[in-house]
Amino acid sequence: MGLLRRHGPIGTACALAAGAVLVAFLLLIIVLLAEARPVVDAGFLVDAPSRFAARAGVGPALAGTLWIAFLTAAVAFPTGLGTAIFLEEYAPRTRLTGAIESAIANLAGVPSVVYGVVGLALFARGLGLGASIVAGSLTLAALALPTVIVVSASAIRAVPKGLRVAAHGLGATKWQVIRHQILPAAAPGVLTGCCLAFTRAMGEAAPLLVIGAAAFVTFAPGAPGDPLTSLPTQIFAWTARSQEDFSALAAGACVALLVVLLAMNLVALAVRHRLRGGKR
Amino acid sequence: MTVAELSGAGTASRALAERLAGRVFQACAVVATATALAVVGVLGFETVLFFTEVSPARFFTEATWTPFSEEPRFGVLPLLAATAQITVGAAVFAVLPGVMTALYLHQYADARSATVVGTATSLLAGVPTVVYGYIALNFVTPALRAAWPEVEAFNGLSACLVVGLMILPTVVVLSREALESVPASLMEAGLALGATRDRVVVRVLIPAASRGIIGSVVLAMARAAGETMIVTLAAGNQARLTWNPLEGIRTLTAFIGQSSLGDAPSGTLHYRAFFAVGAVLFVVTYVMYAGGRRLLSRRDRDGAR
Repeated sequence: MGLLRRHGPIGTACALAAGAVLVAFLLLIIVLLAEARPVVDAGFLVDAPSRFAARAGVGPALAGTLWIAFLTAAVAFPTGLGTAIFLEEYAPRTRLTGAIESAIANLAGVPSVVYGVVGLALFARGLGLGASIVAGSLTLAALALPTVIVVSASAIRAVPKGLRVAAHGLGATKWQVIRHQILPAAAPGVLTGCCLAFTRAMGEAAPLLVIGAAAFVTFAPGAPGDPLTSLPTQIFAWTARSQEDFSALAAGACVALLVVLLAMNLVALAVRHRLRGGKR
Repeated sequence: MTVAELSGAGTASRALAERLAGRVFQACAVVATATALAVVGVLGFETVLFFTEVSPARFFTEATWTPFSEEPRFGVLPLLAATAQITVGAAVFAVLPGVMTALYLHQYADARSATVVGTATSLLAGVPTVVYGYIALNFVTPALRAAWPEVEAFNGLSACLVVGLMILPTVVVLSREALESVPASLMEAGLALGATRDRVVVRVLIPAASRGIIGSVVLAMARAAGETMIVTLAAGNQARLTWNPLEGIRTLTAFIGQSSLGDAPSGTLHYRAFFAVGAVLFVVTYVMYAGGRRLLSRRDRDGAR
């Protein structure tokens, strides 16, 4: 065997493990596509869920996910980036700053379902928002915030010291240095990390289920106060029904969700490419 | 710079912008810190209220979890044991393939294979857990039941397998980073002494990266412990104390995710039970996550910074 001769026994075993990972990934995609094929047609993306599997679609869920993506990013991105700038550029390097940074980083590891419980108490009940799009978005924003802060802070930290020193030396003020030197230099890193945080949040079903996402929303949400629905919670609702027809619908919704997430990543990739001035 | 900017008005507005920027960033940091405190505060507040009605000793030692019955019993052990089973089971399935894939990417793969496997790994990492849950319930469980008739419709094994797949990318990516942080000179020294590559890998590379590899496994296990959708869909909702992976179990996360919490009126014991379970989950995952991050941080390693 060529593989064995080239890599030795351990290398061959490792290559086989890597091959298994590849196969698992391909199987996942093939199974989803094969299952989804019968239900995915032009109407699937706009139709509402229905008791009759043949007529059901992901229209409201898709609209809900796009709403949530927009609102979550609108809340978590400025807050997270601002916090990262404050921690890196303004806050004194004290023990307290270090403790806050480390606590925030560890919050990124708290399970999403815990944020759901807290979101229910704070936003759905506390602020009286109920099981609405905006309550779900705020919960996911709280979930994404620690990651946004961590990745933004590390992108800012990676900006060469010389850039800062040179700009200050030329008489630029602190805000001018941040605005014209640090932010442009850190932008690609911030963007990549935040995109990862938001796509992860978009795929979350658990916190939205805890808040009370409805399984049966028949109209597309048109305002932040409308009932909470999203692709992940719709997938859960259809999967939990465990009937043949609804299983195909769930697969179709899975494919729709993966396409939305992939599209978000591709847009971020294109923006990053432009930020770097078209250079690779 | 224009004349207007050089005049006094420009300086004043620039000073204003300067002060404003600092204030805005400070406000962001306050909001973020307040959010973090609110998460801990809400969990802690409701949990304390829960423990005024249910004794912590009984909560942590009793083996019956029936929060919705006429005479509710709140013994969290079955949920904790189920979470432990999923966490350890997922690690069993993920660690060896994950570390070996990382080793392949670092040591053996040519550039093209590394790109292909690396891309597949990061795409796998981006798959939402509810999609994994769908796969577990509709494909993995039926396959297990076909091979093994005594497997229940909801079982721990299917969940362990799929949670293992879910945490695999974490193990691969972080272990690869740990391997890459080992200085090349170490391996070259081994090779120069005449050792084969396999021997250098086993005796030099892996021991040198072991701290980081363990850290990657701990972080991955923290993710497995907090995973909700796969276990909710595939492992079932029977809170029973069992280590048999062929039976249905209910994890801490599945209890929160599955029970219609949205319907529970605020202030009831039933409502507060979710926060108590959430707090247990928070503490378990926080400790694991912080520990994993510590192991991965290079700062502590042999005093080398």
